[in-house]
Amino acid sequence: MPPTVLRDLSDTSGYWAAVWSMCPMPDVHVICDAPVGCFNLVGTAVPDYTDAVPHIENLTPATMTEQEVGGKGTQDKVKWTYDNLAAQGILKDKHVIVVSTAESEMIGSDHSALVKQLGVGTRFYYSNSLAEDEWAGRDRVLRWLWDEYGATQSAGIATIPTAVNIIGPTYGCFNAPSELAEIKRMIEGAGGTVNIVYPYETTLSDTPRLAAAAVNVVLYKEFGTGLATDLGKPILYAPFGMQDSISFIRELAAHLGTSVQAEAFIRNEKRTTLQAVWDLWRGPQGDWFGTLDMGVVAGLSHAEGIARFLGDEMGMKVVFAAARPRRPGDYDNESIRQHIHKRAPSFLFGSMNERIYLREAGSKYTNFIPAAFPGPAVRRAVGTPYMGLRGCVYLCQEVVNRLYEGLLNFLPVDAAYAALRSPAAAIATDSHGNIPWTSDARTLLDSTLEKLPYLPRISASRQLQMTIESLARQHGHQEVTRELVEAGLAETKQ
Amino acid sequence: MSDIIPLATTTQPTTQPCKLHPQSMCPAFGSLRILTRIEGSHPVMATDTGCLYGLTFVTHFYGASKSIVAPQLGTAELMSGQVVEGTRAAIEVAAKEPGARLIPVVSLCVAETAGMPEELLPRRIGDAEVVLVRVPAYAIHSHPEAKDIAVAALLNRLAEREGHVNSKSVVLLGEVFPADPLMIDAILRRMGVSETIFLPGRSIDDFRRAGRAGALAPLHPFYKESINTARNWGMPVVGGAPVGITGTYAWLKSIGNILGLDPALVQQVADEERAKATALVAERPLSGRVMVTGYEGTELAYARMLVEAGAEVPYVSTSIGQDPLVLPDELWLKAHGTKEVIYRKALEEDVAAIDRYAPDLVFGTTPLASVAKERGIPAMYFTNQLASRPFFLTGGMSATIEFVASVLTKGERYRWMQEFFTTAE
Repeated sequence: MPPTVLRDLSDTSGYWAAVWSMCPMPDVHVICDAPVGCFNLVGTAVPDYTDAVPHIENLTPATMTEQEVGGKGTQDKVKWTYDNLAAQGILKDKHVIVVSTAESEMIGSDHSALVKQLGVGTRFYYSNSLAEDEWAGRDRVLRWLWDEYGATQSAGIATIPTAVNIIGPTYGCFNAPSELAEIKRMIEGAGGTVNIVYPYETTLSDTPRLAAAAVNVVLYKEFGTGLATDLGKPILYAPFGMQDSISFIRELAAHLGTSVQAEAFIRNEKRTTLQAVWDLWRGPQGDWFGTLDMGVVAGLSHAEGIARFLGDEMGMKVVFAAARPRRPGDYDNESIRQHIHKRAPSFLFGSMNERIYLREAGSKYTNFIPAAFPGPAVRRAVGTPYMGLRGCVYLCQEVVNRLYEGLLNFLPVDAAYAALRSPAAAIATDSHGNIPWTSDARTLLDSTLEKLPYLPRISASRQLQMTIESLARQHGHQEVTRELVEAGLAETKQ
Repeated sequence: MSDIIPLATTTQPTTQPCKLHPQSMCPAFGSLRILTRIEGSHPVMATDTGCLYGLTFVTHFYGASKSIVAPQLGTAELMSGQVVEGTRAAIEVAAKEPGARLIPVVSLCVAETAGMPEELLPRRIGDAEVVLVRVPAYAIHSHPEAKDIAVAALLNRLAEREGHVNSKSVVLLGEVFPADPLMIDAILRRMGVSETIFLPGRSIDDFRRAGRAGALAPLHPFYKESINTARNWGMPVVGGAPVGITGTYAWLKSIGNILGLDPALVQQVADEERAKATALVAERPLSGRVMVTGYEGTELAYARMLVEAGAEVPYVSTSIGQDPLVLPDELWLKAHGTKEVIYRKALEEDVAAIDRYAPDLVFGTTPLASVAKERGIPAMYFTNQLASRPFFLTGGMSATIEFVASVLTKGERYRWMQEFFTTAE
């Protein structure tokens, strides 16, 4: 089989999945069996930009150097790190977990025997980073945490009839604070009480209490089902869009026996939260949705959910919705890139990768909206959900405000101000009378405009025409030729 | 596996803080930043997916908006020895990019890729040179030093040594703020330099032209491989950098000597520049105790400038290793009141220094700056705030010390924030 070539990863490895899942719990300390880079990227450089934290404080590397790689192995370094952390009192009341990396796995480091010689309770997690991607890794580490720290201790814990766990959110999960706040609100509205948000808002010592919930809500479809399955209670997935959100509330209430309360909540939500969608739909803004196209590349939940709400419910044309991990038939990044280079939709939900492809394509008329990592984004305010009922309002609002922004950028402004800054800018609007266009030139302009999203096309058409005609005048041409159009297009691409 | 594993006993001197949390970006990032910013350069990364994800993430933030390809290297590919085959396939994909002229193959920490044999890779494909850049983090230790590895690899492959040597031209080496090259070029031309080439920049041709320059002047003290390359060519190397009052004066004179410029003219320009810088400091002296503790490899030079401007800098730390290139700055600092200069520093050392010196202002890594802010001390991320301003000659000195002076007045806000967030009521 020919080797596979990757372009701009959308997801990371099992090692990152492990660290990011374990470290939100304050009673954990992770020692990563890693060279300095794998410590810095996972613990500081990237979570600065995904989670807006200065650094992950309960992570320490057993810094691997030439010596360890060159045959000595990493066990001495792991023990040295453990001993010094312990000597400084950092490991007091902590569960210590040693985690492998692709680099340590490659040199065969297995510390399952070593950890028995360290402090009582220290465990080794083999992150299987050379084989497992982020999603498989996240799913497996959650199960492992339950197996190691929860399952056997949970024997006497009784189920609380209205208690609900939320499984999934950790470091590196796009928009987690807002999604979580909305899903909690909906669970409570349906008559449930939130038991544990695992692992984002709990401690490792609290793991056995996962058994107390009557229902498990998996926040992201791309991982967490494994743990939810092991817990043996009904499983629901956090919903996107109006219909799925209503179904979610009803289904949850059916499990909890709280249907009367849930129906009242739904009635009230239609009158309050969702009223904004109804207002926008009846207003002039609602007309736009059916005229717009969009693409989305995101984690499975977000890719499916955004396409379902904005496409199926609001009527935007979905030109592609590619999930990570990829479902059968989903575009990989190479195909996404080609698609964007050929013709970018008017709205693109995605990660830094898609943003780069847009810049390569010079698609300045496309509205890019972050919907996935990688990429720097502060998402700590809890008022920007994509999930649930409030997510419907937020997504509608975001789309409409982007349209306003685009249109405002196109309204004519008196050229005299631009001429103050640069005399050359005045020429573009210095038009008197029409210049004839050859049919060749007209065809080229039309085919260029065809590639633009519908809404900006009108304004762009006027702007391009003006630029090209002023070029013609500048060079003393009596008609606009294909060559002039090419020159004008090159100028506006800058 | 039930046998007891024989382990080395832990011996750690108790007086020094233990180096548990090393402070550096992933070293390989330094090379990627440089390699992605060159026009026509399309890097191929040979590594595992976690490494690829993290490095492309930071490169797409701090380097360039550039798509990056890599062979998929999981257990299956590594075990079946497909590293070279996969890398060659990725090179072919990169070569199809429009305008591809350079394909740096960046090999990283995973043992199989770190040892990639260069002779099994093509030297050229289409219009593009293929250059192997080996930057395993475990051997390089800091990202400034990985910049050097990348520059040296490109110079060794691309620099043109044939043809006319422009003896009055100089290569200036180091990533600097965009205004700095303009100022440096202007002053050097006044002294009689015919041309300046700034590396690493956006142009691949600058690497080619660099081979025929009259001298190499590294602006930062971690370009040792690149300096070795120049020395092997017989190209003279200018020490120091145009930083601060005394540093700039000495550097200008040194450039004049090495390039054989008119001594009277050089003396005149150096005197003028020294007078301007001295006047600047006299007019707006700094006062306050500042810790300079980034991981960019340039910290000693910044500390030196701040001391000349009147600040007290008791503690300086950096991610790079001790080296003869940094020694002049270290000696100068120690002669001017700096008590400690720490190389390959760890978070623990910097935190202990905050406790020891009670600074008025801290420039550090993000973890350290957050520790300082938790103590109500004004603090900033060295990389984003200091290393991203004009720095060289009087113009750079003016911009830098003006900024530092303004931050030194912000103590109230930092104390208010600390009090607000650390008191329960």
